[in-house]
Amino acid sequence: MPKSQYISPDKAFEKGFLNINSIPLCQYDASLEDEKKIYTKEDFLRIYRDMRIIREFETMLNEIKTKSVYNGVEYNNPGPAHLSIGQEASAVGQAYCLDINDFTFGSHRSHGEILAKGLSSIHKLTEEELYDIMKEFLGGNILSVVEAKQDADKKGNIKDLAIDFLLYGALAEIFARTTGFNRGLGGSMHAFFIPFGIFPNNAIVGGAAPVALGAALYKRANQKKGIVIANSGDGALGRGPVLEAINMSTMDQITKLWGMDGKYSDAGMPILFNVFNNFYGMGGQTKGETMGWDIAARLGAGFNPENLHAEKVNGYDPLAVIDATTRKKQLLVEGRGPALLEVATYRVSGHSPSDSSTYRSVEEIEEWQANCPIAAYRRKMVEGGIATDDEFAAIEEDIIRRTTKICAMATDLEISPRMDLDKTPDMISSIMFSNTNTPSMDPGREPDVLAPKEDNPRVKQLATKARYAFDENGKAIPKIKQFGVRDGIFEAIYDKFYEDPTLIAYGEDNRDWGGAFAVYRGLTEALPYHRFFNSPISEAAIVGSSVGYAMAGGRAIVELMYADFIGCAGDEIFNQLSKWQSMSAGILKMPVVVRVSVGSKYGAQHSQDWTALCAHIPGLKVCFPSTPYDAKGLMAAALNGTDPVIFFESQRIYDKGEEFHKGGVPVESYEVPFGEPDVKREGKDVTILTIGAVLYRALDAAKILEEKYGISAEVIDSRSIVPFNYEKVIESVKKTGKIVIVGDACDRGSIMRDMASNITEMAFDYLDAPPAVFGSRNWITPAFEFEKYFFPQADGIIDVINQKLMPIPGYVNTINESEMEHIARSKQGL
Amino acid sequence: MANPVIMPRQGQSVESCIITTWHKKKGDTVQEGDILFSYETDKSAFDEKSLFSGTMLAVLCEEGDVVPCLDTVCIIGAEGEDISALTGGAAPAEEAKEEKAEATVQAAAPVSTATERCEGERIRISPRAKALALKSGVDMTAVVPTGPHGRIIERDINAALDKGATATIGAVEDFLAGKAPVTIPATEADAPAVAPAPCVVEAEYEEVPMSGVRRAIARSMHASLSEMAQLTLNASFDATALMDWRKQLKAGGEAMGLGKISINDMVMYAVSRVLLDHPTLNATLVDNTMRLYKHANVGMAVDTDRGLLVPTIFKADTLSLADFAKATKAAAAKAREGALTPDEMSGGSFTVTNLGSLGIESFTPVINPPQTAILGVCAVTNRLKADGSVYPAMGLSLTFDHRAVDGAPAAKFLKDLCTALENFGLLLAK
Repeated sequence: MPKSQYISPDKAFEKGFLNINSIPLCQYDASLEDEKKIYTKEDFLRIYRDMRIIREFETMLNEIKTKSVYNGVEYNNPGPAHLSIGQEASAVGQAYCLDINDFTFGSHRSHGEILAKGLSSIHKLTEEELYDIMKEFLGGNILSVVEAKQDADKKGNIKDLAIDFLLYGALAEIFARTTGFNRGLGGSMHAFFIPFGIFPNNAIVGGAAPVALGAALYKRANQKKGIVIANSGDGALGRGPVLEAINMSTMDQITKLWGMDGKYSDAGMPILFNVFNNFYGMGGQTKGETMGWDIAARLGAGFNPENLHAEKVNGYDPLAVIDATTRKKQLLVEGRGPALLEVATYRVSGHSPSDSSTYRSVEEIEEWQANCPIAAYRRKMVEGGIATDDEFAAIEEDIIRRTTKICAMATDLEISPRMDLDKTPDMISSIMFSNTNTPSMDPGREPDVLAPKEDNPRVKQLATKARYAFDENGKAIPKIKQFGVRDGIFEAIYDKFYEDPTLIAYGEDNRDWGGAFAVYRGLTEALPYHRFFNSPISEAAIVGSSVGYAMAGGRAIVELMYADFIGCAGDEIFNQLSKWQSMSAGILKMPVVVRVSVGSKYGAQHSQDWTALCAHIPGLKVCFPSTPYDAKGLMAAALNGTDPVIFFESQRIYDKGEEFHKGGVPVESYEVPFGEPDVKREGKDVTILTIGAVLYRALDAAKILEEKYGISAEVIDSRSIVPFNYEKVIESVKKTGKIVIVGDACDRGSIMRDMASNITEMAFDYLDAPPAVFGSRNWITPAFEFEKYFFPQADGIIDVINQKLMPIPGYVNTINESEMEHIARSKQGL
Repeated sequence: MANPVIMPRQGQSVESCIITTWHKKKGDTVQEGDILFSYETDKSAFDEKSLFSGTMLAVLCEEGDVVPCLDTVCIIGAEGEDISALTGGAAPAEEAKEEKAEATVQAAAPVSTATERCEGERIRISPRAKALALKSGVDMTAVVPTGPHGRIIERDINAALDKGATATIGAVEDFLAGKAPVTIPATEADAPAVAPAPCVVEAEYEEVPMSGVRRAIARSMHASLSEMAQLTLNASFDATALMDWRKQLKAGGEAMGLGKISINDMVMYAVSRVLLDHPTLNATLVDNTMRLYKHANVGMAVDTDRGLLVPTIFKADTLSLADFAKATKAAAAKAREGALTPDEMSGGSFTVTNLGSLGIESFTPVINPPQTAILGVCAVTNRLKADGSVYPAMGLSLTFDHRAVDGAPAAKFLKDLCTALENFGLLLAK
């Protein structure tokens, strides 16, 4: 909401018509003579070769899946194989004009795209560059396999070796071998090879679109070369994250505000949304059944006045696709992106080998087979006198021989072993997190900032604040003068913005407003738009793009205004952010912090603590600090690391001062290690373990217990949830024998329940009662006036201690937390 | 007028007993003198006879329940009589539960009631409290639970320990533990429970849970051997004089109304006299403190169906031989009937055990903690004197705690005892 852009009622109510420009459909009509001017004979033959390699690769997989044998090589592959027989011209046409600075992202049906992009890169790289890449990758592991098996007559031919490398690395990955591109941890639907600019494919339909947007954002914000292509099928156009990503890529601010009056680039987002429209989303017919756009390119008209430069192209003609993609790339390089291209194509193979094509007629398939793009191209070339059919036959023969060799190698357990989890049981454990300390993702570069670090109104204001909540006499300093939790988060982020040039932050209402809860106040004055901006209200695109931003090499902080919006970014948090480090066998890093704010006072859809949802997903670090010291230290640790962190904050306590860390919150940077709970109050009779803002209610309870009942409670703040070191908690339980775990999350399935179960197992013999859990009721969050009936309060904590751990003489419960009551509630699903 | 029947208190420090059998059900007609229920402490079993006639109106606890002494266990009165006034403090389980369902919950009182224990058959105890109980030797069945659902929690064990003697199951534990916590060796406390063998159609063995008495013996004997520095001295004496006296007593004594006097009585009689000259053997040792008794309270080991029981003959040194013999006979009879009270089995300063009648020539008796010695009486065997004549030799095995007594004083006691027995007539005259 920049003030520079004025919204007037007169403009808003202006009469007129919206004119939409024409969208070209299959306009390519170059003659072979025209094409001969562009392509050499070698180019023409290479296009054929690449299409034929893909065809043979997919045919081989189809034979293995359906008959367990290909050209005499027997193998049973239980994994998936979503083949793209029929779509080869589309893939090769696209890849033809790309180089290794151009990144492609794909779908579950992307073997063809990987091979096409790989073959294109092999053609463009020098032999030296190629060999270096192969030698460096996974310690030369794949290279040594293919070098040993290179045909004798081709020894010394690095480009030929690289083709073996590409086909073998991809197939070994599909067959889950350690010699695959990602040690077999990605598999068919997630194969990729970053050195060739081949970024991850995605088993979630449309999953790659917001991720690809993030990679484009990285290029745009850090002035990197190349474009990004988000490949998807037509079925993905029904997915919200895809539409969100397209929409976010068109944000007006990129061209209108990011330039900041000529100071920075005002280029559009360098991304091409490329739709391989094969007319089916699995079995559902997009045109005519499940969608209404008739022609996918029409979508462009919905997103910006340029129609996203959309057009439709014949995907069965590789030369038409090359022509279209080259033009789109040129647009993007010129800063006129984003763009949309519909590549009409058809998959002759089923969705998967088990597909019996009940949703389409035999005639339809046969007619497309008769129009086979590879055969048609070969015919055209022979008829046009480019090459003889024998020349094509020789290429074909070579491909079949090579594919057979690669298949034999990839199925051979001696050459291509699987990960041995008996001998090395920690292989997967060791790659779940990268656990690095990387203060800057690009240490050599100066960060783009608008003002010197000290010269910031927020920084100046914070200098006047009390960094410890009490004065020298132990008297509480007025809240307004205290350095609060929001200030701690700000300082860690502010420091990092001046250290890591790749760091960007965005989300809803971040700029100008300073974030809905004023954490970011001061950043607008410090940072240019391309490092700090307001996103559309598109949580999937916000989180998804941060994933791509990190994959491409940057560090990002994204914000979901309320934790309740985690559901809107469900796939992006649970399947993308969490999984790419490990699915890449540790090749990718994921330095992303997702800030989520837990609300209160705002009812059922704005007050939920969803720590358990995030903690449940392997691959995410989760924390929930409650003090300024912990918030700053954990944020610093999150930002120095390269792992994805879900950083929970509570709106109840943004203004809480530092009451624990004597000496106050340090001005300089420091880390609070992830996973270490902190004893906030020592005691000996009962332990209260807290998650998040409930810490302060637990401390109130501890005070009452001490003063009224002579019971000494130890209060431990979990601070982190994943990872979590139980040792400190177990030590406390050994002392007290009793523990109640308290948090604002709904009780059922909460992380408190998980902790209680773990503590029971780890410290059973020391327990004087089963660990008690006191969370929120399994209700909707009611209005603020009823909060005490819903969220745990100090009195309730004492009730639970009295009822479940140690009856307190003379104490009368105000609420019923008995086992009988829990059974009764559970029966009702409450 | 309905009459509550309470759990009798058997011994000063017994706090609770286990109901073993109900002989009357709710609704049964009861006559005065009818046996209502059987119950036991760790060491003794008792039948409770009705003092009232009428109808059994309520049975407030079940077989297997541990019931605090003096708590009401059942109510006898006229059919249909209102007994609500009597069940206020010990309502049947169902009624108690209904009260708990109130919206505002009255928290469980910190001191448990019999009701809470009656709800379940097993003792509820937290792992932490159980570990502490095993370590400190407190009997879990006797601890007053204050945790949720009548569960014993750590503080209850600590409270029992603080109360010292009263925390144990009374005399039994006094006897075993000497009014102080006994550290059970870690092996026992830490040993994992043995999983029951899988059930087979035709069991190859029968599993018999240890009785309370057996468990008490096991604990006591194990503690004895693991805590003390025990060693045994063996000696024998010429029993000619003793046997002559026995003959005379048999022949004339009974006629004089002295009653039956056994060799064992005579040995114990001698022990009770000689002990007074050897105070370190007429003693207990607890926490580095010797308690030297002014009288000889001689424990007598009695073999019974329930196991080994040791009634105490208090101030045995003051009894005439005839009275002594009467006392031992009465005590043995009570032991065999299981009618000994815990008080009658505590307070011993020395113990005599006799395996001589079973032909045992020498053995190593195990001391009853916290006493410092025990005498084993062995069989009589014929031996040759230097001159070739044969005499009856009776063996004596004295086990003593070397922590309390050294070898020489113990040997001196044994020698004095042999001398006294060889000169039994002189001893009687003393």
